[in-house]
Amino acid sequence: MEWFVKRLGISVLLVWLVATIVFLAIYLVPGDPAELLLSQGGAAPDPAIVEDLRDQLGLNRPVLEQYLHSMAGLLRGDLGYSMMDGAPIAGEIAIRLPRTLELIGAAALISVLVGVSTGTLAAVGAGGVFDRIASALAGLGLAVPVFVIGTLAVLVFAQSLRLVPAGGFVPFAQDPAQHLTLLLMPAGTIAVGLSAIMFRVTRSAVLEVTVRDYVRTARAKGLSFRRILTRHILRNALIPVVTVLALNLGTLLGGTVLVEYVFNWPGLSGLLVDAVNGRDYPAVVGVVLVISILFVTLNFVVDMLYAVLDPRVRHG
Amino acid sequence: MRISRRGFLVAGASLPLAGLAGRVMGQTTAGAGASAKGGNLTIGLSSYPPNLQPWVNAGSAAGTMTALIHRGLLSFSADGQIQGELAESWERDGDTGWVFHLREAKFQNGSPVRAEDIKWNLEQVADAKSTAYMRSQFQGVDRIETPDERTVRLIMKEPTVAVPDWLATYFMPMVAPGTLSRDSFAIGAGPFKLKKLERGVSIDLEAFDGFYKPGMPKFETIRVVAYPDENLRVAALQSGDVDLIDYVPWSAMGQIEQDKNLRLDTTLGPYMYLTFNGRTGPFADARVRRAVALAIKRDDIVQSAFFGRGAPLEGLPLQEGTPYFDPVRAHGWRRDLDAAKALLAEAGLSGGFSCTLLSTAQYGMHKNTAEVIQQNLADLNIQVNLHMPDWATRVALGNRGQYEFAVNGTAMESTDPDNLSSVLDDTAAPSFIRSTGITVLGLSTLLHQGRAEFDPEKRRAIYAKVEELVLEQAPMVGLAWRSQGYAMKANLQGFTNIPGPLSFYSATTLENASLA
Repeated sequence: MEWFVKRLGISVLLVWLVATIVFLAIYLVPGDPAELLLSQGGAAPDPAIVEDLRDQLGLNRPVLEQYLHSMAGLLRGDLGYSMMDGAPIAGEIAIRLPRTLELIGAAALISVLVGVSTGTLAAVGAGGVFDRIASALAGLGLAVPVFVIGTLAVLVFAQSLRLVPAGGFVPFAQDPAQHLTLLLMPAGTIAVGLSAIMFRVTRSAVLEVTVRDYVRTARAKGLSFRRILTRHILRNALIPVVTVLALNLGTLLGGTVLVEYVFNWPGLSGLLVDAVNGRDYPAVVGVVLVISILFVTLNFVVDMLYAVLDPRVRHG
Repeated sequence: MRISRRGFLVAGASLPLAGLAGRVMGQTTAGAGASAKGGNLTIGLSSYPPNLQPWVNAGSAAGTMTALIHRGLLSFSADGQIQGELAESWERDGDTGWVFHLREAKFQNGSPVRAEDIKWNLEQVADAKSTAYMRSQFQGVDRIETPDERTVRLIMKEPTVAVPDWLATYFMPMVAPGTLSRDSFAIGAGPFKLKKLERGVSIDLEAFDGFYKPGMPKFETIRVVAYPDENLRVAALQSGDVDLIDYVPWSAMGQIEQDKNLRLDTTLGPYMYLTFNGRTGPFADARVRRAVALAIKRDDIVQSAFFGRGAPLEGLPLQEGTPYFDPVRAHGWRRDLDAAKALLAEAGLSGGFSCTLLSTAQYGMHKNTAEVIQQNLADLNIQVNLHMPDWATRVALGNRGQYEFAVNGTAMESTDPDNLSSVLDDTAAPSFIRSTGITVLGLSTLLHQGRAEFDPEKRRAIYAKVEELVLEQAPMVGLAWRSQGYAMKANLQGFTNIPGPLSFYSATTLENASLA
């Protein structure tokens, strides 16, 4: 119990640190939300108007006061309001986060299906034609930047073949088929690199497990190859695969920005970039805070699981 | 604490008033008419409007929405002339007065547009706490009179030629009083009503049945979808997802022209230019600034930054075809390296010097323009270091005068030369769009005279002097016009890219557009 409380305390401390660092960082960077909002289209706003807007947005108060105000809001679960148009940040994140999670989830699903199956096949026939071709393709998938893949996908599937829309978003409830069609290209684009990673990890893990004693024993017992592969090799090989997948999914949470941009997918990453560009302080702090809470929670859960699986961790 | 700017905009201040007389300039399209509606239009917009509040300058995307939802007293027609909207006609009244005669029109909540409503709108704009873009202009109003329900008499403190121009911009929509609030958008009197919006994604509009122009709007609904990625915006048009896009990337203009299913409509409107910091350093010397102006290969900028879709700007940004354009002065800064070297030598800098050019890496046109200038100035032994932070930082540095010289891009708000003041008036507050610490003797006075002079000949003479002074002193240096384009399905009829700097108001013409 003491260990649990300690880990929980560390997690809360981490979230507070992230919120503080982000708050200070965005305030230290040059650029002013009021100035920017009123300077759209290359206009020169009257400085008096900028100053009035700064007053309204609370930007003329001392930074410490703004910080305390922001932290007090966060404690109450109030992420504040956008400086651009007064929209509530929490509501905006609640709309955007599921879209990004859906995108990442779909990409993960494709990657697991493609990467694990091809990685296993390549390992089983290591050195063969399929292994060589698949390994080369995986290298390519890792080397080509995601925005290049995305742009090519738009060019081929939307502009040339006209099979799918060029990009955009339709809520699932409004049009399920269109929603999934629009999800396919961005998810597939993310999945290219992720599948390559899954392929490589699976391949090397399967190769490593294949030479273990218990596999040899299973063979000696006369078990079928399929049973050995599914029950003994894959089961054990998937542990590092799941770990690597989880690490990559965490990174994708704030890292889908290029894909969201290229495909006009209105997710959390796009919101964060727009907020930074517009120096929308509450939105930046809110989005980063939510992402960090998800990260910290993920780590906390993993720590708990480790502790359950291996009691030595609790005393380590 | 809730941060409220909308409430802030609501605050009003009364303005007094006075008399008038003059010439009728407006057209009459009286009476509300039933719309012959049909069809849907999807627009791919270059960005989602950061703010949909009236009167605030929140960029061209927000301006496009304003042009669809709202109407002001006046607007710009497809050929760039000022035309009547809520005011069916208008006239001058003495030196300082303007009279507007309102047509029978309704706001989208069904209430009639009355003179009192117009007065209320103008007062909100001019209010001491308003964040309206035209606040300082309308603080030049002495008083507003409403002798009857359909007449508004505006008395300025000084003679002001540009009043109709101001009222024709999308910065001056007239909204139904009492409909400004934090949680809803103001009710307008334009051709389309706001139906629903998904912040950051799309905005849906539907035709307003009570719009005052008979048979308009023609579209039943308009869906506006934000496509910030320019390539995706073009792809969306080519694949048929959208019918019309704005800010056509220069790199894609050629392929759109080749596509027989699409139509490209471009105009030279916005322009790129240099600003200088004259507080200290070499750019305090007008000869050095002029030398820079004479050393730039503007064709290279047009090629590098705009894929050839632009034109050199070798003088002030006065449009060809307007009364203020002079074919000789328009090329006053044509590249002349010998003259540039002579000017530098005269300034005691024949050996050149080192300096930093502020631009931004966030926008390709700013970045590429800066790179060309860096190369060109090497011909004068001026070693240019580039400082290209993100746009927000670049704006902040410009406003604070923390730069030596800088690349900027803008467009005049109308073709009236009074708009030159925004980049030239050295008595105005510091801004990233103007040079810092440079005073050109007599320039501000001339701009002020031009603003107040109604006689066309005298006004032309004033701006000729302005142009000569600027060519000589180079408080800013023109670089290149850039092509501003809309692309659309070939069967979209009735939409026009309004020429020159008025391009950004083009969405007004969608009231009469339809898909054939």
